[in-house]
Amino acid sequence: MDAKDDKAAQTNDFTREVSTSAAVARHASSGSWRRLRAITRKEFIQLARDRRTVALMVGMPLVLLIIFGYGIRLSVNGISAELVGRNSPTVRAALQAQNHFKVLVTVANSESAARRDLLDGRTSVAVIIAASGLPTSVLVDGSNAFIAQNALDYLRSLTSASGVKPVNVDVLYNPALRSADFMVPSEVGMIMLWVGTVATAIGVVREREQGTLEQLMMTPIRKLELMVGKILPYSALTLVIAVMITVLGLLLFQVPLRGSPFELLLFAIPYLVSALSIGLLVSTVAQNQRQAMQTTTFVLLPQILLSGALFPLSAIPWGIRWVSQLLPLTYFTPITRNIFLKGLGFTQLWPQVAVLCAMAVVFTILAALFFKTRLD
Amino acid sequence: MSDKVEIEARELVKSFAGIRALDHVDIAVPRGELCGVVGADGAGKTTLLRCIAGLYRADGGSVLPGRKGRNEVGFSPQGFHMYPDLTVNENIEFFGSVYGLDKKTLSERSDELLHFADLTEHRNRLAGNLSGGMQQKLTLACSVLHRPPILLLDEPTTGVDPISRREFWRLIEVLHTAGTTIMLASAYFDEVERCQHVVFLHEGRVLADGTVDHLTPGGMDLETAFRNRMSEDAILPGKVGFTR
Repeated sequence: MDAKDDKAAQTNDFTREVSTSAAVARHASSGSWRRLRAITRKEFIQLARDRRTVALMVGMPLVLLIIFGYGIRLSVNGISAELVGRNSPTVRAALQAQNHFKVLVTVANSESAARRDLLDGRTSVAVIIAASGLPTSVLVDGSNAFIAQNALDYLRSLTSASGVKPVNVDVLYNPALRSADFMVPSEVGMIMLWVGTVATAIGVVREREQGTLEQLMMTPIRKLELMVGKILPYSALTLVIAVMITVLGLLLFQVPLRGSPFELLLFAIPYLVSALSIGLLVSTVAQNQRQAMQTTTFVLLPQILLSGALFPLSAIPWGIRWVSQLLPLTYFTPITRNIFLKGLGFTQLWPQVAVLCAMAVVFTILAALFFKTRLD
Repeated sequence: MSDKVEIEARELVKSFAGIRALDHVDIAVPRGELCGVVGADGAGKTTLLRCIAGLYRADGGSVLPGRKGRNEVGFSPQGFHMYPDLTVNENIEFFGSVYGLDKKTLSERSDELLHFADLTEHRNRLAGNLSGGMQQKLTLACSVLHRPPILLLDEPTTGVDPISRREFWRLIEVLHTAGTTIMLASAYFDEVERCQHVVFLHEGRVLADGTVDHLTPGGMDLETAFRNRMSEDAILPGKVGFTR
């Protein structure tokens, strides 16, 4: 058969199955699952071939781990302090005179009650007052190294300035006040946010830039399938990186993980969904990858600065502290810190988990509303 | 060829930021017809095809098949819009799966289309490394995987060498013979001359439409006919820039 005949045969092959609306409808109705699997598989293949992006996604967290692992010291004011045993006007006046402490009105009845308050985060410092009215010892919550370090410095200067005999100070949860113990748990949240948001935003915007989104819009793929299919590989990547950071934090910096790793992973899911949905939202306003990076930075920077991950929430002025309440990282940071250092679980952390679940729902709905399946 | 209209624009209006890209466009393409839309850059060809495909929402008027009929449409946009970091095979597999083809059908169609488009020996090459002509053929192959009865092609041969253009047209003719209704936008008059039905589009308006014979009386070539229509259009009262 010569080439001409061969092409004629192809024509016959092609024309054998003449297009009909019924045939198309049959194909179109065959399964959301197949479409979801197709787009997820495609994303994984593309991710595996995009070595530069993968190197950036994995390399950047490692660099941040090293940088943040050695911590940053900052002066903190407004540290909550609790008087234990009795309300000593002398000690209270001395603490208040410094302006660094916010002395709580509540006076714990016993040291165990004070320890509970420290565990629950109601206070950062508990000063135990003897019957004589003088302090005998001080308990400091070491799970926030910035606050604890500053509290210790202030307490030392307080005792020397007021002539009060130095008291025995017992730092709990992070006795050595190691920056790594404070920073690594926070970093898990920061890295997840960064990787999840950037990867998702770039992934969708790249489709738009390549014009492949236009092609996808012409297929039977539904909005939700496209959204889920796009974010599933990035969810996996983000979780792998979060586990990697946790393991490296444990091995490299000997950060303790006193709570349940399973709960940590479980509570990370609503947080991850929020981060990925923010990435999708960014992709709806960015027209190209450069704009996506700029918008992501604009969105992520306030989260890093105002969430309490780096600086204590108490150090943020009231005027802008309300912004902190809108950020997922504000709720995930106490989860990681308390699971790592205090060994807390769902019983104590459910309010933060509940807020993250609500945020995941809201951000997903917003992303679905703004994610367009048309070009205009 | 049936008289049933498969592609239609009725009083179609579309504007972007106050600039009218399509101005009361009326076109009707019966089933099985090969229709060519010709016009200069900025005439509104891409906007017209995107409105018909439902990728743009019309500001006024109506279209067929539109968004609801997208499962019946194969769309090949201007330029290369496949995944450059996937191989030819992977692109075909992806679009086939998204169109809901089962594994066996997909494998058969993939072999058939790759052979049909002379891409069999390139099936494991990254799509980004193919020549312009091969990329266009891959785009066409992916857009007809689900055997759509309607095919919209937006300047499919722009930037493609003459040999690849000829190859590409062979594929279009095969699809047309198979009964597919095709609307093709092009800036090349020699291409649209091959179509049964030609639409002259200029500044978002239809200057004329009909068969080539109808549009080119007295043996006039298509480009001259188009220019004559443009001149007539320019002296219509009320047109911007009109001077009598």
